[in-house]
Amino acid sequence: MSENIEDDLKEKILNLAKKNPKGITDKDITVAIPELTSSELVTAINKLLQQGCFDLYNQGGSLIYRLKTQANKQAVKGADNEEKVVFNLIEEAGNKGIWIRDIRIRSNLANTQLTKVLKSLESKKLIKAVKCVNASKKKVYMLYNLEPDRSISGGAWYQDQDFESEFVDILNRQCLRFLQQRADKIKNNPRGPIIGRTQSYATASEVQKYITDLGISNVKLEVEDVITILNTLVYDGKAESSVYPDGNRVYRAIESLIPPPGLVQVPCGICPLVLKCCSTGLVTPQECTYMTEWLE
Amino acid sequence: MSHQLGRAVSEILHRYFGEIVQQVGKDLFTYGSKPISMIVKTTGLPRQQVIESLRTLLKFDLATFEPSVNDSIADYKLLPDNVLLLIRYPRYLLQIKSKFGSEAELLVEELLQQAICTATVLLVTIATKYKDGKESNINVIQLKDTFVSLATAAYIQQAPVAELKEDCEVPTLVPVATIVPDLDTRALIQAVNTGNIADINDNVYWRVNYDRFHQDFRDDLMVKAIARRIDDNAGELTRVLLQQMYLSMPAWAAESGPVPVTELRERCADKPLISQHINHYLKVIEESGAGFIRRYGEAGGGQYSVRVRHAAQELVHAALDHLVTERLGSHAARIFRLIRTKKYIDEEDIQKHAMLPNKECKELTYKLLEEHFISLQPMRKAASAGAMAKAIYLYHIKLHDVAQSATELCYRSLHNVVRRAHHERALHSRLLDKQRRVRSIVHQMRLRGEPAQNIVDVEETLTPPELAVLQSIEKRLKQLNTAELELDKTLFILKWYFMYPQ
Ligand code: SF4
Repeated sequence: MSENIEDDLKEKILNLAKKNPKGITDKDITVAIPELTSSELVTAINKLLQQGCFDLYNQGGSLIYRLKTQANKQAVKGADNEEKVVFNLIEEAGNKGIWIRDIRIRSNLANTQLTKVLKSLESKKLIKAVKCVNASKKKVYMLYNLEPDRSISGGAWYQDQDFESEFVDILNRQCLRFLQQRADKIKNNPRGPIIGRTQSYATASEVQKYITDLGISNVKLEVEDVITILNTLVYDGKAESSVYPDGNRVYRAIESLIPPPGLVQVPCGICPLVLKCCSTGLVTPQECTYMTEWLE
Repeated sequence: MSHQLGRAVSEILHRYFGEIVQQVGKDLFTYGSKPISMIVKTTGLPRQQVIESLRTLLKFDLATFEPSVNDSIADYKLLPDNVLLLIRYPRYLLQIKSKFGSEAELLVEELLQQAICTATVLLVTIATKYKDGKESNINVIQLKDTFVSLATAAYIQQAPVAELKEDCEVPTLVPVATIVPDLDTRALIQAVNTGNIADINDNVYWRVNYDRFHQDFRDDLMVKAIARRIDDNAGELTRVLLQQMYLSMPAWAAESGPVPVTELRERCADKPLISQHINHYLKVIEESGAGFIRRYGEAGGGQYSVRVRHAAQELVHAALDHLVTERLGSHAARIFRLIRTKKYIDEEDIQKHAMLPNKECKELTYKLLEEHFISLQPMRKAASAGAMAKAIYLYHIKLHDVAQSATELCYRSLHNVVRRAHHERALHSRLLDKQRRVRSIVHQMRLRGEPAQNIVDVEETLTPPELAVLQSIEKRLKQLNTAELELDKTLFILKWYFMYPQ
């Protein structure tokens, strides 16, 4: 069944349902559209159910489909024009939400009026305001029943718009641990370094499985989330990543090319006062306490 | 040349040659190049002392001279980089000992002390020194052989000779090609026995070839890095690759010419694990992210070249990573590396990729900026004109500049460490002096074979609390000394990086 025919069919069924607000049965449909095969009917109905167009009732042993009375639409009905306009704008924005400034520009409402309208819609639980993670002052509005998009909510790493850095740190460490377990496979591998390297690689989904099995996260982590974490390891210089021929990203724990250099082994290399330290004066190498402690 | 370098150099000169040479060196460093009379004027030292100091500096190759404008007098110039090498001496000795054994160590040690010396004098001095020592297995024939092999391997070379050009009263130093010497063994033995070397006519002067040592150090760095990243076999293969590269290229070339895999395989014939998987190893090294080698071409079963310059760059990166980690924490290092990976990146993207809380991320980024690890590049959006056009700011890393400030930091630290050691010594100079005196007396007594009781009596003039203090000073000085050597290693990487123009 091609898309077109399918859409056509759905349209017909919907129209039929609109005409009969009390609901329609399978039989009604087959009567109205006789050319329909039963399998086609089932797929079409399933689609419509999925999209939430129908409510399903059981009446006297036969199933009845009734067009959903869209509650929110109804609620707006009672509202004034301004509310309708604003509501439509917000609905359009979907789960990405819309910024108050954009609503004002596009609705041409005055600031005070707009705030009032938004308040009223909010109190009716039709819309909600969501704080945006990457701009803390910015609030966006979206329909009440929508789940905010990742770009707004920040995904797994945010709890009420607060970034959970400890959680990220723990995951970062656990991922590294997992990679390190197999990192040594490359060393002196009797089957050659390429095979050794392959054995020391881990795909993101392997790591994801490991993390999930550990049970340290009560949020479900997607492979994508794990990749984000693994990438922080790459930026930490503790792992390298590569791409398999099949397009999968793989990761391997590595060591820095050199051990900590001499510069960071002496107190001066990490001393916060190093620029103030002179041969004479208050801060001098002769009297320096950092040095004294280090020499103990 | 930086002020910090001057400070470090001055402290080092003080350590090795005392106050007067330090003053002259400092003066030369500050003024660039100048003739003797000017040095006398600014330092206020007697002329004779200045001349003495310059002689020392010239002898150890810590300064040079060139004809002044009027050709009849010379301008002197300090070579600060060579002064820094003074603290590297222990490493040279260690290196030569592990490669050529302890006789070579003696030779190099003596040569470093003499700075410049003929083969005859060198060999006879050492042989005489150890003639009646316990290590009687040192004889002049062996020493001679070692000398020849050191010369062949270019760890020592002939010193440049002074030549007088026409209508110029100041000689110029002309480097000479080293010819491996043919020394008369019998004459040497005789000289050792009689203690008279005047008969031997030897006027070829030798000095240590630092560069050859540095080449070894560099190879070690590369080999160890690969061994850390992959495994010892890969490290070994890198070493072979480097050796192969020397056959056709100057050692410090930015990138080597192609080395065929077949040659490498031959050289690795005795290492089954490497030769069996040689192509795989090469591939893994190439893809290791360090980028030390590069596949050059397919001819003759594949060819690889060594990217020496790139290796230096990678190692500097690694050193800087450590530095940022230690100074500002691992999260800052994450941001630092992130910026490096992305080349140019704006603040928002840093936050997104670094997975750090907004506030911390900003703070660390500014800290990095403040310490000059990263820089800010404003980008004007050309298209959008007018007041709305806000410039966007991108962060990025100017490696050359960052390496420069890391070098400065090294100089500062080096100065501080040397200075502190000096201070520690000065604080306890009385005690250290006493220890030295007691030791020399005891030594004398031993030689004279005096009774053990007397020796113990003398030794006991150092009281237990004094001994405890001495021990702790010794420990401190040793730690400071190690720190110097380690700092020098960091400087080595940085210097190697700066060897190649940007
Ligand atoms: S001597 Fe002390 S104060 Fe000076 S830079 Fe070193 S650690 Fe800092």
